[in-house]
Amino acid sequence: MALLNKSKRIDISVNGVKISAIENSNLIDSIKEAGIDLPTLCYHKDLTPNGSCRLCMVEVEERGKKKLVTACNYPVRAELNVNTETEKVKRHRKNLAEMYLGRWPNVPVIQEIAEKCGAVDKEKYKSDLTDENPKACILCTHCVRACDEFIQEKILGFAGRGYKRNVNMPFQKVDPHCVGCSSCAFVCPTGAISIDDNLNHPVNPEMIRDHGMKVNAEMATLDPYQCRMREVGTANIVEVMDAYDLLPVMNYKYGQHKDTPKMDSKVMKAKYFTQGHPDQCWHGCSMACAKAVEHFELKTGPYKGDKVIVDGPEYETAAGGSNMGCFDLDFIVEYNFYCDTYGLDTISYATCMAFVMECYENGIITKEDTGGLHLPFGATNDALEVLHQMARGEGFGLEFGQGIKYLKEKWAKKCPEKAQFIRDIGMEAKGLEYSEYVSKESLAQQAGYTLAIKGPQHDEAWLIFMDMVNNQIPTFEDKAEALYYFPLFRTWFGLYGLCKIVWNDVAPKDNSMKYPPQQAAKIPDHVYNYWKFVEGMTGRELNEQKMLDESARVHNLQKIMSIMLGKGERKDDIPPYRAMGPVTVEEYESRVLRYDKQLKDNGIDIEGKTSEEKVQLMKDFRYEQYRKVTDAAFTRRGWTLEGVPKIERLKELGIDLPELVEIVKDKQ
Amino acid sequence: MKRISKEDIVNISKRQNDEFNKYKNMLMVCTGTGCVSTGGISIRDKFNEVLKNKGLDSENIAIGTGCNGFCAVGPIVVVQPEGVFYQRVSLDDVEEIVESHVKNGKIVERLLHKNPVSGAINEKIDNIGFFTKQQLIALRNKGLIDPENIDHYIARDGYKALKKVLEENNPEKVVNDIIASGIRGRGGGGFPAGVKWESGRKAAIKRNEEIFVVCNADEGDPGAYMDRSIIETDPHAVIEGMLIGAYAVGSREGYIYIRKEYPLALDRLNVAIKQAREYGLLGENILGTDFSFDIHVHRGAGAFVCGESSALMQSMSGKAGEPRAKYVRSVEYGFRDKPTVLNNVETWANIPAIIDKGAEWFASIGTGDVSKNPWGGSSGTKVFSLVGDITNTGLVEVPMGITLREIIFEVGGGIPNGKKFKAIQTGGPSGGCIPESLLDMKVDFDSLSEAGSMMGSGGMIVMDENTCMVDIARYFTNFLVEESCGKCTPCREGLYAMKQTLDRICNGEGKEGDIEFLEEMSETIIDTSLCQLGGSAPNPVLSTIRYFRHEYEQHIKEKKCVGGICKSLIQYKINEEKCIGCTACARPCPVNAITGSVKKLHIIDQDICIKCGICREACKFDAVEVF
Repeated sequence: MALLNKSKRIDISVNGVKISAIENSNLIDSIKEAGIDLPTLCYHKDLTPNGSCRLCMVEVEERGKKKLVTACNYPVRAELNVNTETEKVKRHRKNLAEMYLGRWPNVPVIQEIAEKCGAVDKEKYKSDLTDENPKACILCTHCVRACDEFIQEKILGFAGRGYKRNVNMPFQKVDPHCVGCSSCAFVCPTGAISIDDNLNHPVNPEMIRDHGMKVNAEMATLDPYQCRMREVGTANIVEVMDAYDLLPVMNYKYGQHKDTPKMDSKVMKAKYFTQGHPDQCWHGCSMACAKAVEHFELKTGPYKGDKVIVDGPEYETAAGGSNMGCFDLDFIVEYNFYCDTYGLDTISYATCMAFVMECYENGIITKEDTGGLHLPFGATNDALEVLHQMARGEGFGLEFGQGIKYLKEKWAKKCPEKAQFIRDIGMEAKGLEYSEYVSKESLAQQAGYTLAIKGPQHDEAWLIFMDMVNNQIPTFEDKAEALYYFPLFRTWFGLYGLCKIVWNDVAPKDNSMKYPPQQAAKIPDHVYNYWKFVEGMTGRELNEQKMLDESARVHNLQKIMSIMLGKGERKDDIPPYRAMGPVTVEEYESRVLRYDKQLKDNGIDIEGKTSEEKVQLMKDFRYEQYRKVTDAAFTRRGWTLEGVPKIERLKELGIDLPELVEIVKDKQ
Repeated sequence: MKRISKEDIVNISKRQNDEFNKYKNMLMVCTGTGCVSTGGISIRDKFNEVLKNKGLDSENIAIGTGCNGFCAVGPIVVVQPEGVFYQRVSLDDVEEIVESHVKNGKIVERLLHKNPVSGAINEKIDNIGFFTKQQLIALRNKGLIDPENIDHYIARDGYKALKKVLEENNPEKVVNDIIASGIRGRGGGGFPAGVKWESGRKAAIKRNEEIFVVCNADEGDPGAYMDRSIIETDPHAVIEGMLIGAYAVGSREGYIYIRKEYPLALDRLNVAIKQAREYGLLGENILGTDFSFDIHVHRGAGAFVCGESSALMQSMSGKAGEPRAKYVRSVEYGFRDKPTVLNNVETWANIPAIIDKGAEWFASIGTGDVSKNPWGGSSGTKVFSLVGDITNTGLVEVPMGITLREIIFEVGGGIPNGKKFKAIQTGGPSGGCIPESLLDMKVDFDSLSEAGSMMGSGGMIVMDENTCMVDIARYFTNFLVEESCGKCTPCREGLYAMKQTLDRICNGEGKEGDIEFLEEMSETIIDTSLCQLGGSAPNPVLSTIRYFRHEYEQHIKEKKCVGGICKSLIQYKINEEKCIGCTACARPCPVNAITGSVKKLHIIDQDICIKCGICREACKFDAVEVF
């Protein structure tokens, strides 16, 4: 169907009341806005209208012509005069209500509608089809549409034509593919569908369902206009990141590239994705963001020539491609497949390869080091060969497989005059390769990455979107607070085994209007949903403090374990400079206006300075900024300035166990 | 075969015509579904076998053609180029026709057509009343070509129109020509095809989307087989029409949605598509231009509602065939939510002729004035299937504006067995019944609608005096009750209530207020149904109430059925004066309700009689009467 053109408005009149309607919106919305409650049995606010009950018939006058239309699915395209109460409309409505009353006389919603429409004669349409059951199915199609639109299944459908029409599962059998999401029962207005709620004995199944259905409804109604997760999954971020100059290109040197349109989600959807059903990562998830490519013919490696199914590519895998300077989706899908097959992480592989490529281009390594492989940016074939070598445990692949931390120390020794450069561009911290976002211009993300206990991956504090795209944490204090809240919040997800994606890859329509930016970034209504899931399951009521405390215990325990392993202190939380700012003159000059302005705005004199000098000035400035935000974040977390949990914080959390205190007591 | 160029179209036509001209006699054997069922194909083969055995095959040939339309007298053999018409030909007649007609030039008189009224013998096809009033555009090649031979089609100016539009290289002009021709959709809606094309073309450009063209061959009206015959007779006409449409609107992909119950049409269509592909008339770079287009065939499963365009597109997408609201039109958001131009078989088959002979020529045929806008009249011809109580059952193509009387009494040969005409039902099951008083009405889209019926896809069912109009309304309503998809309330619940009311009336349980109830319900069903199945479903009831209200009243008040059909309201009685006591009526009576011995008066026991009517048919003296 046509996407709504949200911007254009059209003046219409409803029973004389002037309303400004959104172009292509359904007429019923405007009628409701005019305060008129039309009778309807098939309309549902979260489902695509299908105009089957016909009760919401109204008379419209459009371009001088009068006609009867169903308000639920009539699109507003031109100026309209709407009359909801003409004699004809009332007569038809009464007649239709009587038809319902004749067939299902004892169903409460029908009795209500009949009363509204002035239908009293139960005998007029009485026939052998009359069903006295007060919980009879009235064929409103809510359940069938919910199955399709909420959960993207088609378990429920109609069997039989005409008066034999009935809601059923395929071949009139219980379909084993039904995931038991209970959406159908939730939207049923008569109680015709009943659900067995006791499969795993939740304390309050109604509570879980009430909040789960909000998620389902948002997925069905908002996702197509927001992130399109159902359509293309996380790949939708490729073009967003490119637009905001945040897509890693050539080992994070740049944030956008002219070739990005060759590998964005539009191309994936048009030429690659063949699967998009809710059967991939979590059966029954109404977001179903996992996508797959079928019949993909491999060009290299042990399965060369085979046609395979590839799970993905997701955003990070695609962005890994641009990071290696490879804007070729065939390559991206191939490395995606082999990483999966070999049990490798696409991010670590891509980031490491990006580092190797930059070293190769700078003459730090040559074909002698790579066993003859030619590895500048964009070298798709040789990059795949390294992947296969790594799996076989031979050649350059054996070296490569040990990661950036190993390679950078090795090559810094080999090439001491370029040691600082190598350390600046080797994108790892605590031995883990960076994931695929350019954090250069986002102080919050720099700290989000490097202060993460397990290393610079985006799961613990994915702040780049709220910092750079949505601009929700502009001040220094906002960033420090975010560095307190989000790692704890995200750790809490991990603790309960909950998926993060449905938390913020779709947001309630009114989120940004209802809350100030810092709060809006948390998407409070969705966090509340999660508390209610836990409460409905366990009976334990949660609030923000309780949630953060639950999480802080584990977060601090992780931190102490990290200290015990020798990776948990401030010295381990320093990012390589590529993650923070322009390493090279070339990088500086690519954003010279922005960088010059930032230096000047911060009172640094750049008059007559060369680019080399400005790179150094910027580096000093940014490390200073980073120091400040780290201090603030550690303090907010109850840690020393060296990043060690204070004993009083452990006491506060009730985890001042002797074994733990023993590890931190000398570092207070 | 190989891919052909624009010039090849001319060459093939010449070569094939030379070949036709080489034959002294071409025995055109009808092999439409009707004649196939009575042996058409084996007759054709036997002709060729006999011709060969007698050494006559170099100058004479038998060719299987599509339906001639005169199904009542099949199998038909027309000897061309003279046009001698043989009817009810059997395998046993082949030898004689070859020996007498082909070899010795002597016409076989006993197989010629006789006028059932005057008894006059007609030698030539052109002199037979059934054919004289017809004007052929959609069926221009009926009886003249082998539908399974693409060269035959090309020989009769086939693909010439395609060649022309490709040479002119002006798709907009094609659209304008179709608008100017005034052709309105032959599938029932009567929407001007050119206007639809223009909207589709604009929508595709505006949305920068691909566009589909679709041929609706899901003909489902009882007693109607126009589209089936067109495909069986001339499948390339449909393909060429779609090609021209695709070129005009900018489409690369087309679909034909055809009923699965049409095996012969489906076969011929597939053969034709294959041949067109081999010639490069479908596929990439058609006739060496940069125009590419191909056609897929989608078989429908026989739901009447799938003839409705939005339901058809749902069905083609693999979903249940249910209509959707058409507030957003399918030319903008149709198949796969892309712009889609859908026309029915007959409309597509007309297109090449319009392009070939010009819009003005087409517009000059028919009623009204379509020169300013295509809604101004009904141009061209229309194919009707003429069935029921009519002498010449068959398929006819007549110019718009012909009167019903001409169709029934001149083309159709009138009502058989000396009975009186009572009504004609047009437009398929949801059309209406038109009485004798309106027989001089001109047949076109608007007049039929005004009379409470419709053009529909062209079904015409003729009814004689022994018809009960309430029962007829009940019959069609029953059909629609079964074929309603059930999605919307008025069609699902309302039609069922209508059927129940009609059942009661026919069973003698009608009560005061029933007619008014039917009228009230009809209005709601028409005004509030989601699609035109529901929107037109009350037509049979409303039109019969309008023209035959007295019959309803007789059923309800007097408990009488003048047509002698409604069993609860009739009695069979034996006329004392006419009965000779032959026992012919008593013997077949399944319930032994008739008593009486040989040469004595017979009597029907009304308590036992089940009113099956067998006695009435059995009596040779018209002694069994209905009251």
